[in-house]
Amino acid sequence: MLKRCYILSKLNTFTYKSQRYVNTKVPFDINETDDQYKGINTMYSDMFSQSLSNTNTKDDNTDISRETNPLSECDKLNKEFQDLFQVDNTCLSGKELEHKVTSPGRFILKSLSNNPYYNLALEDYVFRKTPVSKEISHDVFPNHRLLFYINKKCAVIGKNQTVWQEVYLSELQEQSYELLRRLSGGGAVIHDLGNVNYSFITSRNEFHSSFFNELIVKWLHSYDETLPVTLNKRSDILFDGKKCGGSAFKIAQGKAYHHGTMLVNSDLGNFHGLLKAKDIPGIKWDSPSVDSVRSNVSNISLKSTDNFMDICIDGFRTDFKGANHHEIPVYFCNEDITINDEINSSMNTLKDDKWKYFNGPKFDVAFLDKQVFISCEKGIITKCNIAGLEGKAFKTLWEDKKVYRNIYQNKF
Amino acid sequence: MLSTSTIAKSLTRTVPRVFSNTSKAPSLRLFLRCQSTSHGNNNLNKNELPFKFSPAGPKLVKYSKDHEWLAMHADGTTFLGITDYAAAALGDATYIELPEADTEVDASDSIGSVESVKSASEVYVPVSGTVVEGNTDLESSPQLINSDPMGKGWIAKLKVDEATNKEILDKLFTLEQYEQFLKSDE
Repeated sequence: MLKRCYILSKLNTFTYKSQRYVNTKVPFDINETDDQYKGINTMYSDMFSQSLSNTNTKDDNTDISRETNPLSECDKLNKEFQDLFQVDNTCLSGKELEHKVTSPGRFILKSLSNNPYYNLALEDYVFRKTPVSKEISHDVFPNHRLLFYINKKCAVIGKNQTVWQEVYLSELQEQSYELLRRLSGGGAVIHDLGNVNYSFITSRNEFHSSFFNELIVKWLHSYDETLPVTLNKRSDILFDGKKCGGSAFKIAQGKAYHHGTMLVNSDLGNFHGLLKAKDIPGIKWDSPSVDSVRSNVSNISLKSTDNFMDICIDGFRTDFKGANHHEIPVYFCNEDITINDEINSSMNTLKDDKWKYFNGPKFDVAFLDKQVFISCEKGIITKCNIAGLEGKAFKTLWEDKKVYRNIYQNKF
Repeated sequence: MLSTSTIAKSLTRTVPRVFSNTSKAPSLRLFLRCQSTSHGNNNLNKNELPFKFSPAGPKLVKYSKDHEWLAMHADGTTFLGITDYAAAALGDATYIELPEADTEVDASDSIGSVESVKSASEVYVPVSGTVVEGNTDLESSPQLINSDPMGKGWIAKLKVDEATNKEILDKLFTLEQYEQFLKSDE
């Protein structure tokens, strides 16, 4: 069953990619006079020009263009597969998502979007809407949810951290990593397409920080008992003694989630130089900001990100089946279709500078070689021994090179 | 103290329902319960500000299902914090997000959060009112949440109108009801 889902999701990806490809120009000239290839050339131009007209209308209204245009070969193939195996991995609409999320029962949700803002907003939405009884109940929580999403390149800091203490913003920008502040606690992490994010939603009453990672380790071992995965004291999953995933938690409204990362085929070499070391010579931080625990990291030796998700889906379906033995459903969602006002609005909050840079703990920082001292509260400089900086946004210091150089010589 | 028979009982109750096919599945609630029994004193600390703010002490101490306590004094000044049970369950606090002064809050708004070992836990205000101040001692000493959650570790001081909140206040737990509420899970 799961393997089939895998094939289908791959096919969808292919459809998507082929549509994108036609937006770019053909990278070579077609020789019109060359009769030998004329037939095949015409066939290809017909194929692509038709798709091109599809993509032109895409901006007006995606849904309408999808309905009015004939099915592509891939769509047909997908449909055939779906009919044949009776699986349906079409994405939920915003309304359908709302219905599933507010109704009782367990399910698994896989996001096909790689947009970190969408995925974090989606996770928050599912978490907030999941029903929970306010009474402490003797029953096991019946509405567990398990989410998976994969983000394109980004750095994600904890809710109560200081941006400038955790990451090299200039490096992130240069290498086109997004910066996000998440809604849960914990330290800074780097995501890319080789990293799976999982999120397990439960009741506050049942929540325990090591619970879900213990299950993941168990599932990984039952998939391959030789996998050298263990848990450390902080309940981080280690592969061969190195950390292959981090965790963070949020507790609110009588519910809790444990979300974590699993490095499968991340470009770890690329991560180097994005996160700051705890102590950098010449800078002294004084802040209650939550510490990032620096660790050696490693990818886990699994075939693919899908491989990891399938292992977890299998394990979750087995262990959370409950008394009625109904198969726990897997739903899919993506940014274009599975969207609503609430998700949109939390995406906007997450993108907003106010949340990213004018938030988090107040801090004092000293740049020792230039003897500059700054106190900062909610992103605004409240005290500084350089005239004219008080009342300015801390963020602007690093956007104005002249000011910046007066404060600190090295990369910030 | 938690006896082995309680552990065994809770395991047999919890495990078979959901984790029907797993022998090694970790017990869900064991941890919370172990900690709650080792603490379990959810009385307001009589030697600290939340109690001593007015000479007569608070006229009302109430508890919420989300494990907040509030202590209301005669002039409407109300202190809010998390219970000993909640503090013990969360573990060592590393950062407390405090509400800003003069913020108008509605009943069940989130007014801050407690971060402990990678988890951010929202703190709700069960009544409506205006924030007078957050407890800035927690900025430098978040551990007060663990050492004295019902005294030095208060989170917010609010101005609350008793009359407009009467219905809500009546529904909130007394200490006995709160302890009973915690026990109902054991």
